[in-house]
Amino acid sequence: MGNNIKILAIDTSCDETAAAVTEKNRVLSNIIWSQASMHAKWGGVYPSLAKRAHQERIDWVINKALGTSHQSLVTDVDAIAVTVGPGLAIALEVGINYAKELSKKYNKPLITVNHVEGHLLSPLTSSNTKDQRLKTNVFPSLAFVASGSTTQLILVKKIGDYKILATTVDDALGEALDKAARMLGLGYPGGAVLEKMARLAAKRARDGSPNSYPLPIPMMGKEDRLQFSYSGLKTAMYKLVESQKPLNSDEIENLSETFQDRAFQHAEKLIKKILNKYSIRELYFGGGVSANINLRKRIRKICKQNNIKLRLPYSKKLCTDNAVMIGVAAFYKFKRNIFLKPEQTVLVERFPRAKVDEKFPWE
Amino acid sequence: MKILTQKKTSIDEVVETLKKGGLVIMPTETLYGAFVDATNPKAVKKLTQYKNRPFGKPYSVAVTTQKMAEKYVELNETAKNLYKTFLPGPMTIVSKGRHNVANGVESETGSLGIRIPDYKLVTDIVKKLGKPLTATSANASYKARPYKVLDILGNISEKQKKLIDLIIDSGELPHNEPSTVIDTILDASVVLRQGKIKLKGKNEVLSKSEENTQNIGKELWQKYEKYYGKRAIVFALEGPMGAGKTQFTKGLARAMGINDEVVSPTYNLEEEYDKGKLLHIDAWRMLSDSEFVELDFAKKITDKSIISIEWADKVSDEIRKYSEEAIVVWIKIIYLSRRSKTKKGGDNERLISWETI
Repeated sequence: MGNNIKILAIDTSCDETAAAVTEKNRVLSNIIWSQASMHAKWGGVYPSLAKRAHQERIDWVINKALGTSHQSLVTDVDAIAVTVGPGLAIALEVGINYAKELSKKYNKPLITVNHVEGHLLSPLTSSNTKDQRLKTNVFPSLAFVASGSTTQLILVKKIGDYKILATTVDDALGEALDKAARMLGLGYPGGAVLEKMARLAAKRARDGSPNSYPLPIPMMGKEDRLQFSYSGLKTAMYKLVESQKPLNSDEIENLSETFQDRAFQHAEKLIKKILNKYSIRELYFGGGVSANINLRKRIRKICKQNNIKLRLPYSKKLCTDNAVMIGVAAFYKFKRNIFLKPEQTVLVERFPRAKVDEKFPWE
Repeated sequence: MKILTQKKTSIDEVVETLKKGGLVIMPTETLYGAFVDATNPKAVKKLTQYKNRPFGKPYSVAVTTQKMAEKYVELNETAKNLYKTFLPGPMTIVSKGRHNVANGVESETGSLGIRIPDYKLVTDIVKKLGKPLTATSANASYKARPYKVLDILGNISEKQKKLIDLIIDSGELPHNEPSTVIDTILDASVVLRQGKIKLKGKNEVLSKSEENTQNIGKELWQKYEKYYGKRAIVFALEGPMGAGKTQFTKGLARAMGINDEVVSPTYNLEEEYDKGKLLHIDAWRMLSDSEFVELDFAKKITDKSIISIEWADKVSDEIRKYSEEAIVVWIKIIYLSRRSKTKKGGDNERLISWETI
């Protein structure tokens, strides 16, 4: 199989049932069954009867991933990869059990992957066969993973060698955005809608109608602690919205913009803090929130000022939860000989609070 | 397939075509859309064939008024506010469907997206037809957004072309973004049928900071710790956004000697700390009791677990079932500062009350 290893990757860490086939860091197929994709364009996760829903969908999703990638059988892939954490225990279990069975039945090595490492490496995913992304990356890098459940800044000494530098002590950034949208009556999941509303307000501000609401930037002056915290901002937003009700469309847009601005400034401050402290060569930005154009712009600016390269997933489909990123992370692990033989897979279990800078016990 | 310019189009002709189950492509305020009568199963099938997309992916429908919308969906407060604030306009509002459209228009969970276009041609036709139209972009799935007729015809097969009955060509449209989709379903589940928990001989304490709230978590643990290992202990937390439910749980965890970072479990639905010593559940984005039941709550009670539940009021009936078997401490947090337009933010005071139920 050499270096052109083909991997069938499975992720059932939360609501989405996802499977993908990858070859090296390249996407051959990317199948996601999610309620959210039915209506909303990106972002947010939809609640579901986690365990049963995954069990009902997983066969279909895996077969579709194999079919779309023109690998009609599991025998055509070289290894199986699966997310073992972090995530919802009963949901993770479904994917893990399935992957273990496939590994044993088809005698394929099993690669266990941390979901956050998947997001972290998602900017290295490639759509074509020329692996430029693989050859040009330099370290140390800083990874910013921001989604509905994770908000972390991670030092990447090299692929597979990480150190979490900052993490949230309460809400994740994506969660905060969704909740702000909900407070403004913009439904759920509303992160993407909030972004759109904010854009309209920003456009009005450029046309000379500035917008000012008294919302605090979280953890001002406490950046040294290297902690994300969105609960205080959420409280302030709740009170502000309650005091301003009823809201007209301009007010909804302005409040969206202010909230987004404060939430993003908080992240910018922490990133800058870290860039001052470490000599970082590249910045990786992944997770559902990395699809937000305004935040991309802000981070791009920081990268420019610091003369470092910004790496983003090449498609928004790779920002939100998916199994391609699990396949890509698994590929790098396989290269480092980190995998289990089918008879060793009994050791594998779910790891709902797995941390990206800690090894799994069986590794 | 017939192509007409907008000037030469008569509303009657379009309506007749749609009545016969025809597929019509015409401009909207966002892009060219493909329209069929959303209540006609054959027409919807035809559209799905044309769009070349899997059955089961829902379509939004265009109506002319909120009143008409209410024939097809149930509107909750959130939805009504959005209609008032943003419609007509480029926005799709998703609500619970009433199953009055053809099969395949609503999502598999029975939700339906409604548009009230700000575009006279479309509203005139819907009004005359008296039925909702599917409102979907006229491109085949995964193809570019159609701003002119050539964008469509250049990207589809002969077979697909044959499915089109009528095209209304108004040249190239301004490149507006597609409509914003807002899903209001979750708000429908702010479950009113759940029994309200009233605290009678209640204990109250004032919290002025996050630290205060954490300390109350700590104190309540000390109060109920004696049941640890004998019975399950449930801390059911009720209070608005940002009230400090996670802060309370932080204090609780610290008092229990847990070093793991306590975070909001909203997305994962459940977090477990110190290998399950403390379970932390969040019902905020649950749509029904059954999701809560699926987390094996019954087993957690038999296992004598310590459980903190945020947004417990959403699943109060389920929790109450265990009020004899387990120690259930109900905790309500409310903001004290009054609503006022003039006062900025207000102070940080909350009233925290609790009682075992």
